[in-house]
Amino acid sequence: MSNSHRLGVDIGGTFTDATLIDEATGEVRICKVSSTPDDPSRGFLEAVERILQEAGLPYTDVGYVVHGTTVATNAIIEGNLSPTAFVTTDGFQDMLEIARQIRPSLYDIHFEKPRPLVPRHRCFGIPERLDAYGDIVVPLDEDALRTTAERLKGENIESLAVCFLHSYVNADHERRAGEIFREALPDVRISLSSDIAPEFREYFRASTTIINAGIQPIVARYLDRIERRLRESGLSAELLIMQSSGGVFTFAAAADKPVYMVESGPAAGVIATSFLGEKLGHKNLISFDMGGTTAKTGLIQDGTPGVTKDYEVGSAASSSEHGAKADGYPIRTPVIDLVEIGAGGGSIAWIDGGGVLRVGPQSAGADPGPAAYGKGGREPTITDANLVLGRIDPQNFLGGELELDVESARTAIEDRCASHLGMDVVEVAHGIVEIANAAMTGALRRISVQRGYDPRDFVLVGFGGAGPLHANRLADELEIPQTLIPMSPGIFSAMGLLSTDLKHDYSSTFVTQLDDTVPTDLLQEFERLEAQGRTALDQDQVEEQRMQFVRQLDLRYFGQSYELTLSIQDPGFHPEEMLRLAERFHCEHERVYGFSAPDEPIELVNLRLSAIGTIAKPSLRQLAEDDRDASSAVLAARSVYFAESGGFVDCPIYDRYQFHAGTRIEGPAVVAEMDSTTLIHPGYKASVDDIGNLLITKGD
Amino acid sequence: MSGIDPIKFEVIRNAFVEVTEEMSAALRRSAYSTNIKTRCDFSCAIFDRNLNVLAQSFAQANHLGSLVRMIPLAVQSYGAENFKPGDGIVLNDPFLGGVHLNDITIISPVYFDGEVFGYVASLAHHVDVGGGAPASIGAFQEVYQEGVIIPPVKLVDDWTICDDVFRLILSQVRSKRETAGDFRAQIASNNTGIRRLTTLLDRHGASVVSEYVTELIEYTDRLTRAEITKLPHGTFSAEGVVDNDGFTDEPVKLVCSIVIDDDGVLFDFTGSDVQRPAPVNMTLSMAYAGAAYVLRCIVDIEVAINAGFYRSVRMVAPEGTVVNCTPPAPVVGGWETHTRMIDVMFKALSPAVPEKVPAGTKAMICHAGFGGVDPRSGEFYCFLETLGGGYGGRIASDGPDAVQAHGQNTENAPIEETEMSYPVRITRYELVDDSEGPGKFRGGLGLRRDYEFLDHEASFTVLSDRDRWGPWGLFGGDAGQRASYILNPDGDAKELGSKVTVPLKSGDVVSYRTCGGGGYGSPLDRDPKRVLQDVREGKVTAERAAGVYRVAIDTRTWTIDETKTAKLRST
Repeated sequence: MSNSHRLGVDIGGTFTDATLIDEATGEVRICKVSSTPDDPSRGFLEAVERILQEAGLPYTDVGYVVHGTTVATNAIIEGNLSPTAFVTTDGFQDMLEIARQIRPSLYDIHFEKPRPLVPRHRCFGIPERLDAYGDIVVPLDEDALRTTAERLKGENIESLAVCFLHSYVNADHERRAGEIFREALPDVRISLSSDIAPEFREYFRASTTIINAGIQPIVARYLDRIERRLRESGLSAELLIMQSSGGVFTFAAAADKPVYMVESGPAAGVIATSFLGEKLGHKNLISFDMGGTTAKTGLIQDGTPGVTKDYEVGSAASSSEHGAKADGYPIRTPVIDLVEIGAGGGSIAWIDGGGVLRVGPQSAGADPGPAAYGKGGREPTITDANLVLGRIDPQNFLGGELELDVESARTAIEDRCASHLGMDVVEVAHGIVEIANAAMTGALRRISVQRGYDPRDFVLVGFGGAGPLHANRLADELEIPQTLIPMSPGIFSAMGLLSTDLKHDYSSTFVTQLDDTVPTDLLQEFERLEAQGRTALDQDQVEEQRMQFVRQLDLRYFGQSYELTLSIQDPGFHPEEMLRLAERFHCEHERVYGFSAPDEPIELVNLRLSAIGTIAKPSLRQLAEDDRDASSAVLAARSVYFAESGGFVDCPIYDRYQFHAGTRIEGPAVVAEMDSTTLIHPGYKASVDDIGNLLITKGD
Repeated sequence: MSGIDPIKFEVIRNAFVEVTEEMSAALRRSAYSTNIKTRCDFSCAIFDRNLNVLAQSFAQANHLGSLVRMIPLAVQSYGAENFKPGDGIVLNDPFLGGVHLNDITIISPVYFDGEVFGYVASLAHHVDVGGGAPASIGAFQEVYQEGVIIPPVKLVDDWTICDDVFRLILSQVRSKRETAGDFRAQIASNNTGIRRLTTLLDRHGASVVSEYVTELIEYTDRLTRAEITKLPHGTFSAEGVVDNDGFTDEPVKLVCSIVIDDDGVLFDFTGSDVQRPAPVNMTLSMAYAGAAYVLRCIVDIEVAINAGFYRSVRMVAPEGTVVNCTPPAPVVGGWETHTRMIDVMFKALSPAVPEKVPAGTKAMICHAGFGGVDPRSGEFYCFLETLGGGYGGRIASDGPDAVQAHGQNTENAPIEETEMSYPVRITRYELVDDSEGPGKFRGGLGLRRDYEFLDHEASFTVLSDRDRWGPWGLFGGDAGQRASYILNPDGDAKELGSKVTVPLKSGDVVSYRTCGGGGYGSPLDRDPKRVLQDVREGKVTAERAAGVYRVAIDTRTWTIDETKTAKLRST
């Protein structure tokens, strides 16, 4: 059967992962190649070629391809945007220079504000002005637009962003400016703020629009290169990209609104978790993805991943301790809500000036990497600590690709930490792991408790190369009752690419008091947005029966500035529905902030619509049921350190590939597989379900 | 650290900071006024039962320093024994540890197993607290004219707002609805802090946490002292002024002398002017926050600070002067004096630690406050914001343009949000070209913001400074351009002065142009490439480049004319 396979390609800092799922059998095949940062499309194409070759499949057998990439983020972080111009209302052309007028750090006199993404000499003010109701105060000066276009001809710009004040309520001036610029500058790509992020607060909307403009030529070229080569190879499948929000959109849509895919890579792990939850009937999950340099966590409530619109890209990894903010560039598109901290296998342990053991945020990266890699690294890392504690098998790291040197790990911990603390190497190794666990617990708290959720109501899903080593311990600390470790945790994120839907997000600012809102106005506005969504889905060639439209409202107490988003169940907007909406808002406010004010008027702020083209989810391979006990899967026994057992204990090492559906084991235990190691603590037990997940729960 | 598990130590230390960040998030997201919800003019902190500060949010440094003094005084004055679970004490009394009246603090005790563990506190700048002018920042001669004075009294009883007290406070205030919402947000913030601290105590036990609190403070103390010993010894002095006091043109003299020796760092403000019947007086908490800020900037410690750090803040501030005023001195502009004193302290320290200080910087709070009856709703509205200016040049970098300085780090109010919520139109928001203080590393540019009033009569208050002298340069750098506050710049233009309340007619425009920062090092040593970039970006004109920096720029090719430059620089 042709078109019977789905292909996911996830480009990370070190590796490019390809995942191939056979739709008929659910069989998953994976392939890792080195990433090629100078031209990521090379790594992409190599991974595709290799995985298809290994599977013995022609390109024509691929049904569709989904791609997760950091190409957009990297361009921003590295300051490699295309030359862009910025056009705004006259008198406000310094919007980017002034930004938010704050310092990213409180006590550092050497602070810098983020460098404007468009230099001041390419920022232009055009006479025109609307008021907050969208009424014209100063008409648009079309001659000024033409003069500006003339000036720009000599500037070699590739793209241009337009953001006029109050265009979120009336886009006429921006649209007209777009027409004039397109005519005068046919080779320049134009981004209008009213198209990209039509919401109030000008700096944030402008920043979003400029990022869109600045990455557009780069993303378009990149996607074009991939598409051309894949087509030449005979691939006719639909080509899709993961968005920051977790949905996918076509290459064509991505080339148009690339700012929507800025966090394409990290979103995949949360989507994969959500997909797994759906398969297993879990609606509330916390994803915990720990790799070489960072740990990322996201939250899924009632089957839906948390999405934020309060996001900065290109910001240094922020920790609340140093309290950095406004050191990046805000974008106001939906981004899967993630908390990311600098704790990964390569994070370095050190002693600070006050004599205290600290871990991260510095990382030894992949080169020289942890001391145990024997590639010249002298600094002790989390991986070194886990090795000293017996938790990682030195012979079988990354499927045996790299042999680890325990002695180097011990020496590094002794020299850099233990000798200063007057403590034993093993004690310190355990301390390093526990400090990292504390930081990761903090991240899990931020994604849950700080957002008003109790982690005890959630299932923790641990993945990434290092996640399964730590997940059980974190669950213990937060009293999370169940921890799931999916099969092949190291490439689990790529699964997210293959389990999501086509999605286009729209919003419109619609400020009224809820009591005064005319339901038919609301309905009309939603219908307008839905028409836009329908057109986009038509362009994606989605048939009617696969279309879904999700309507949401942003509400707040009149006078507040932060909205809470509620989904609309009944699109009819009968008066009763409005009343229910008010009640739901009070409840949600009570849950999030611990109080509600039922006598206060509620204000409606934005309408949101997601146009979704559903895609059938892949099926996963079933494991055979088997009543043999787990002893047949034991590879060896090793001494592994557990503080709760008072030190090293003999611990069985299991081969995960020998597990069957229904296999049960008890902690302490180590479960090894090619791309990761799972640690099960004493007092915990684990069982294997019919698709191979390990479910870790507290023993009786 | 005997008996202390270093791991648990790290866990508890981080948890405290996180509690304050969660308090901040709750406050910001549920607040009503643009000043609090968008500009973040508030701060949160937690204290132990002995009134040692344990952690502070990423917030306004001037608030954070003053809370360290204010909370102990307020709790002692109210009587720690009078607290019970579910209480919330409100205060703003400048002479009971407070600062200016707009900054209102709510303190709530945290109980565990029937005993008090400590306190959570949130301080927020309320847009209006009554008094003689909308936004309560007018120039008056007594504190009693500045608004409602609240000694520590109970606002929350058994988790419920005390209606009597609440109504009494709100009846003094112009923007009642907004202010009521902001109070509720502060209470939500404190409740969040209590919840989170209780979880932490549940987990580790109160006695264990208390033990770690002691060690945490000792640890921070050790780190701070270790850093202080690296500072050069000596006595370092400087003087400066606040340009005027709002009633007379007599500059307000500020003196500081900083002694660094084996005992640590001592900030002595003796010699500063006697207090004035004008809005330029600091309360002792304000002066303390200034000294703490400067000390924190010149010591290199990476971890979040607590009472262990504040032990090293030593200060002499004679009573009855502008650095420690007594009743009935007005205090509303005390932060203006506070931030200028920080500039003076940096100037004093410049020979000692030239790498750790900026040249003269914005160092004014620069309030813009206004109010009136909103013609759209018929309700009284009040609006407040503060504007950024040029930061001073540093030893190896230019001062950033248009930014907040020193203890102040509030955001700008988005124009679209402002126009949607208040009957005003912002007609211009841009950098002030050529306003930089020239230097090898130049100061930042000031900014301009123009407010036009629509369809109503309003009252506008400027509470700011720097309209006589711009921020000084250091090590051969020149001063930044002074600020100006202009009524109707495109019509019958009039400079308003820096501390004044004026009635406005419909259609009137008030234009703020804030000062540029001072330069660091001689402008003749400035790398011509940096001058070229400034000219290319239009921040500095080619004429000024040639005249002040002695660099000739060809504005057709955007290149440096090397020959001409060499000639200019050789004379």
